[in-house]
Amino acid sequence: MVIKHIELVPPLVEAGKFSELVRSGHTVSASFSPSNNSLAVHLAPLESKISATEEHEEGVYFASCDDIPSSERRLFIADTLVIFSMFKSMLKDAKLRDPSWLRTSQAMEIIRKLSVDYVNFIKECWIHASQPLSRPEPLQFSVEHYRSLYSTFSLFVVLFIPEPGYEDAPVGEELMEWLNIHFIEPSTEEGDQLSSLDRPWEDENFWPYLTRSTIRGLSKALLFFLNNLLQHPSEDLQDLIKILIPLVESHPRLPQYTTERDFAYSSRRWKDKVKALRMEMDRIPEESRFDELYDWWDPLSDVVGILEGRGEVIQRVCEELGADWKEVCAAWGIFVDTRLRRQDLPDVAAEILEAMPPDPTSLEDMMLSYLFSGHPAQVLKHASIFDSWLSAHMADIMEPLGLLETDLNSESEVTRRDQYVLDYADYLRSDPTLWRITVAYLYSCGKVGEEQADELMMRVPLQLNASDLDSRSHPRLDSVAEAVKEVSALCREYGRESVRRAVCKIASVTLMRSQDYGLAISYSISAEDWIGLGRIIDAVLNEYIQSGPVVFASHASKIAPLLDETHSSLRTEEIFAHRLMFTVRYSQIHKMRLEHDYSNAASELLVLLRDEIAPRSWWPILLCDSIEFLQYNSQLLFSSSDAIELLRKLEEIFIRSSQGSGDDYLTVLVRIVKGGSEKEALERLKTVRLAIARYFVRCAPGIK
Amino acid sequence: MPSATVSDSVPIETAHEDMIHDAQLDYYGKRLATCSSDRTVKVFDVVDGDASKTSGGHTLKGHTGPVWQVAWAHPKFGHILASCSYDGKVLIWKEQQGSGGWSKVGEHTLHTASVNSVSWAPHELGAMLACASSDGKISVLTFKDDGSWVADIFNGHAIGCNAVSWAPAVLPGSLITPQQQSIPGQQPQTQSVKRFASAGCDNLVKIWGYREDSQSWIEEETLEGHADWVRDVAWAPNIGLPKSYIATASQDKTVLIWTKETASSPWVKTALDPASAIASPSPASGTSGKFPDVVWRVSWSLAGNLLAVSCGDGKVTLWKENLKGIWECVSDMNS
Repeated sequence: MVIKHIELVPPLVEAGKFSELVRSGHTVSASFSPSNNSLAVHLAPLESKISATEEHEEGVYFASCDDIPSSERRLFIADTLVIFSMFKSMLKDAKLRDPSWLRTSQAMEIIRKLSVDYVNFIKECWIHASQPLSRPEPLQFSVEHYRSLYSTFSLFVVLFIPEPGYEDAPVGEELMEWLNIHFIEPSTEEGDQLSSLDRPWEDENFWPYLTRSTIRGLSKALLFFLNNLLQHPSEDLQDLIKILIPLVESHPRLPQYTTERDFAYSSRRWKDKVKALRMEMDRIPEESRFDELYDWWDPLSDVVGILEGRGEVIQRVCEELGADWKEVCAAWGIFVDTRLRRQDLPDVAAEILEAMPPDPTSLEDMMLSYLFSGHPAQVLKHASIFDSWLSAHMADIMEPLGLLETDLNSESEVTRRDQYVLDYADYLRSDPTLWRITVAYLYSCGKVGEEQADELMMRVPLQLNASDLDSRSHPRLDSVAEAVKEVSALCREYGRESVRRAVCKIASVTLMRSQDYGLAISYSISAEDWIGLGRIIDAVLNEYIQSGPVVFASHASKIAPLLDETHSSLRTEEIFAHRLMFTVRYSQIHKMRLEHDYSNAASELLVLLRDEIAPRSWWPILLCDSIEFLQYNSQLLFSSSDAIELLRKLEEIFIRSSQGSGDDYLTVLVRIVKGGSEKEALERLKTVRLAIARYFVRCAPGIK
Repeated sequence: MPSATVSDSVPIETAHEDMIHDAQLDYYGKRLATCSSDRTVKVFDVVDGDASKTSGGHTLKGHTGPVWQVAWAHPKFGHILASCSYDGKVLIWKEQQGSGGWSKVGEHTLHTASVNSVSWAPHELGAMLACASSDGKISVLTFKDDGSWVADIFNGHAIGCNAVSWAPAVLPGSLITPQQQSIPGQQPQTQSVKRFASAGCDNLVKIWGYREDSQSWIEEETLEGHADWVRDVAWAPNIGLPKSYIATASQDKTVLIWTKETASSPWVKTALDPASAIASPSPASGTSGKFPDVVWRVSWSLAGNLLAVSCGDGKVTLWKENLKGIWECVSDMNS
């Protein structure tokens, strides 16, 4: 297990002072953030008696478990999500079809295309990272890191996601192409240097260059220098080269052929010709095999040996040249076994790796060796140490290809693929602003991922902007709405209704606290949180009691447009619809009153009382309000039967209060009247009775 | 190989006049509350983890002794903070609308000695706060809408209680237990449980459960395993985990992970082994490794897959259970 070290910068404790600090009874405390994998770290006393030392500031650190992605890495993360999402939607479609569809060439074509997209994207990042640009911040991942990603992912595609129809084709050419792209040898500089010489064969790099070009199948470079050798003083050598040049020129390579049969036939015939050359070589007497400077026969024999496809020669030459097992494996498919299949490669690779083991200190070499020898699980294990991005995305493709076991682990109850994707998501969580990307990965990981993503969604801060913090008491409503909208949309996309409701509930409470009752109500309806809705209605009505009708009317006017919405969705929650309707209609009475529309205000007030839309505790308030209408001089606003209705309600209040049920009727009025007792409330209601009596007098014919 | 992470951040200068005992981030990770021997609680804003942009913070004064712990309530109950102190009190603080300031809205004074730990219940259970005190008692406050509360107080651990930690509202596996009758138009609700663990000076960890029929807290289980005071207890969030997990830290220099497969199976303990950095299920003889010093704090990550252990030697280590169910140290922190 690799233990990761986290360093605090600047250090909490000066170098060398740590044990001193511990001896003085202090220690370090860490607790996890509830929203991501960061820790709050601070010095603390081990025993309660210990007090602060003078030299330490009482500071709190936030330590992240992972390196927080830099801008260049964030770009990489965001852009590869696009490919990941396409892959996911392809798998989703596949699920709806016949399960065997994933094995069809149509599916393979899509998988290959998306995998190649990853490769191309990594390549671009690598090129970008290699450019000597001035950057706002240093690269978090080195050019070398991107190069390793590129070589590993490319090889994965070459070996495991061949072009449909070519699964059973020989793999040698593709492997050599891969090697030549990712591990360039011999270098162009060497070639340039040698070609500038008159007698290049006298240079010590000459033969190694020639041999390496042979192994790599670089016939152009090889031919150039073979032609040079025609000037060599040894006539024997010249003769041999004259035979060798047309052989190199006619080396059959698979891409030149339309059928493998033709290729195999040509290869056999060509090899016979190489054998003939070998015989020619062997005829050269020992004493003619070198000139005054050096032996030319042995290196030429190596070149011919490679062309003959002698495995032991290739292996030895590679060792001498400082090339590794990869080179031997690739050359194997070009020279030794020209018809080497993907499925046979692991056996060949295993043998070569036994003689030439991979570099255990290089994760890249380990991943590549496990790809060659066909151990996907081992590839992922090393990839996860190298970069969790790589293990997650390879595992994501490996699973549908059938390269990974899909059983749930009995301990953790997640699949191997999910484990790697969850690890990557864990890493993404080091940057809370990446939450959208993080949930996209989490929601692809079964129940465990879903639950983690749910928690993350619920922790998306509803106050998005830093400026909100300055005006905390009034969170910017649009930003709350924006955040809720975004989270809701994602919840719908991922089918997480309970999360959407929970977030709406929190938003509703937040908005109620900032007195934005309209939005608060629409969120509580959206969350189907009826108890919460009741609380908001109470808060709106409370505005009347606390701040009077003007403030109340302005708040309630924002609710009015919601009434239609509630009617349709509140069918099952009559009681709340009823209370909401009362609140809105009652506020409208005040609005009419303020606009001097007394006639309509009075008749609406009567309806609220007569149809008992108003809760009993609000009857006294409405009755008190009616005084203004009863005393309105220009016009009689109530019919006499209306007035009788008012009186009936008033009497009910008096009678029930005398029977001890005052609490049902008087609680609201009690809060408004001075003194705040039931007695005072009833006193106030007596003025209503008086107003009604006077109104009857006005109504009586003749007196008017 | 990225084996070293450099956590480069400017520390928040709390301006506490004495040692900090606890630092807690709120639900969104946007606010930090700290408490100190200087008898105050402080609240800071955190902008994108960058402490340099934070405002000066608010200082909450009210305790008359060192403040041991702070705990944030779920945001659906408003911006509410609880703190507990050597003065034997638990104070409830609320951020006031408009002024942006904090004021004390409640004072819980039923304990007769230092209150060492406070912990809010999972929000699904409503606003409930558990408190552990050196008087050996545990109290649970259940808040009403108007901010008033009822308190249950009962004996927990003979010599004193050091810590409390709530179980997740929905326990692993309970998704398959019979569901409550669902309300039309609402998603079916799974049964929630009111349960928490406490850690005591009697070397024990106790599990407490609320019985609706008797309206009281019952000691459900006692976990024996530590040889000295249990300093901290942390019940893991159950995000997708198949089992229940409790971590306990003790004066005996060990950290035990208690796991329970199903509601009816027993708790099984495993000791973290700092020596081999690998822990194996401890045999009955208990030959597990020990930390170099007293372990006094354990904290789970949000997903419940990482455990931070603060040891008396000043080292913080992070632990993870691997796919084979073995606990491994995955990170250590150099302060």
